[in-house]
Amino acid sequence: MSTLLPPPGEIARMPADWVAERSGLLSFGKYMLFRNVPKDISWLQTLGSALLTVFILQATTGVLLAMYYQPDPATAWNTIAFITNDATLGWLVRGMHKWGSSIMVVLLFLHMGRTFLFGAYKYPREMTWITGALIFILVMAMSFTGYLLVFDERAYWATVVGVNINGTAPILGPALSYILMVGPEISTHTLSRFYALHMLVLPGAIGGLIALHMLLVVRLGVTSPPWSRMKVTEGDV
Amino acid sequence: MPRLTARERRDRYQREYAFQKRHGKSFFPHAVFHDTIVSLIVVGIIMGMSVLWWAQFEPVPTEAGVERAGGILGPAYEGRADPGVEEYDPKPEWYFFFLFELLRIFKTPELLLVGSVIIPTLWMVLLIGWPFIDRNPDRRLSRRPIALAVGVCVPIVLLTLTFYGSKAPGAGGEASTAPGAAAFAGGACSTCHAFADAGTAGNVGPSLTDNAVSYETAYDLIANGKGGMPAFSGTYSEDEMKCLAGYVATHSGAPAGEEGPEAATAAEVYPAACETAGGLFAGAGAAAAGD
Ligand code: HEM
Repeated sequence: MSTLLPPPGEIARMPADWVAERSGLLSFGKYMLFRNVPKDISWLQTLGSALLTVFILQATTGVLLAMYYQPDPATAWNTIAFITNDATLGWLVRGMHKWGSSIMVVLLFLHMGRTFLFGAYKYPREMTWITGALIFILVMAMSFTGYLLVFDERAYWATVVGVNINGTAPILGPALSYILMVGPEISTHTLSRFYALHMLVLPGAIGGLIALHMLLVVRLGVTSPPWSRMKVTEGDV
Repeated sequence: MPRLTARERRDRYQREYAFQKRHGKSFFPHAVFHDTIVSLIVVGIIMGMSVLWWAQFEPVPTEAGVERAGGILGPAYEGRADPGVEEYDPKPEWYFFFLFELLRIFKTPELLLVGSVIIPTLWMVLLIGWPFIDRNPDRRLSRRPIALAVGVCVPIVLLTLTFYGSKAPGAGGEASTAPGAAAFAGGACSTCHAFADAGTAGNVGPSLTDNAVSYETAYDLIANGKGGMPAFSGTYSEDEMKCLAGYVATHSGAPAGEEGPEAATAAEVYPAACETAGGLFAGAGAAAAGD
């Protein structure tokens, strides 16, 4: 009987083997972890992964906030006050979401500055830069739509002014303002529209672009600094 | 060395990078180690800011719908938004200050589009298209003078705009005792408009001191808004709007305390509308009596 059973170590490995055999995820993970990067990459090249961390943090705290928040002009402000004053550690979740957005913008500028300084947007990494630039613009849109959700005086008037400015653009401007506000002024529909953009459309688009960005980074590898001494010599090639 | 073709240059780069990778180090644990440390620091900063923010909250107000104030990192939240209340605070998130400042620079109606649409659109196009604009294949900064200049100027411009954008409109002088002056100075108008008679120094919108506006134009702008200016028909009653429009038409295009060229256009409603609106609108003396 006992001879029919594989040794315990093998039994423990069975679920992983089962998944690996069917998905190839294990070899993919191994490739991700054990691929080589240039020897002289530096701390400056950690900013991208820090951005990924903050994005995950924003998504997590955002989901927690969504469990209490109601996108209705009559109750939105009250639910924000409830989260801040009453919900267990609600202030921390809201605080991390709020300050995380500021830190994310700072990191975006630093990461852009680093890739700019390194000339990392040059061949073959042009697409990495372009996906990054689109992420940047969408993150600004995240901030704009998120700002209204608190529905206090500042949120309300800053959004009115923001939408009006957008409305000054010829032809498309007024149409876009109308679409954003769902009518000529901020109403119940405006708030749910901003909410849908802020928690579904924009994060979805940003998540997809980040996946593409990361795919490109893994496929192309990160640059070594332009001052790298690692140069090909005749014999090496 | 002979000049390389673009194809040759690209091949050369690929060869060089392959070499750097072959003689490189494993992503795990080397890069992962650094990444983890920096991520932990960043999460620490975010939590630290949240705690600092929370630690300075004032007690929850007993009254419903009002601000819960805080310290250096700002209030927990401001009062509940209510378009019918003349609390007006259109300050955006700090990273939009540079756009805010652009609007202030290009605030005249002819230039409005430059700050609100043209420059931001150009920036976005430059940002996305940058890899195609900078065709220089070299990566060393010493060989990239133009990119270096751009890389130095852009942050300086953005930081300068952000700095000036962060400043609240400077306080002006005293409001005159004319009906409507106190309402202008104490309400939404002062946030954006400089106006000598009301003693305000806002600089988001055009100055009304130099800008002779007729009563009809002023009323239309207040009620319906235009460009960056919001419509206030949901905020102010009809008499209040008539009073403000009348006050502006009477005193615009003139030094403090004097009547401007458009004063006659408002004569029919002003200051009767202010009287009806009452409170701050009725003028300094009446406001004190009414309070
Ligand atoms: C949430 C936003 C972003 C995330 C999560 C992210 C993530 C990353 C990561 C993990 C890397 C690997 C190397 C490093 O950390 O520097 C990277 C590289 C890169 N990123 Fe981003 N990034 C973001 C936004 C941007 C933006 C806004 C730009 C530019 C407009 C950009 C341009 C680049 C370029 C050109 C590289 C290649 C660098 C190289 O190979 O040396 N990224 N990104």
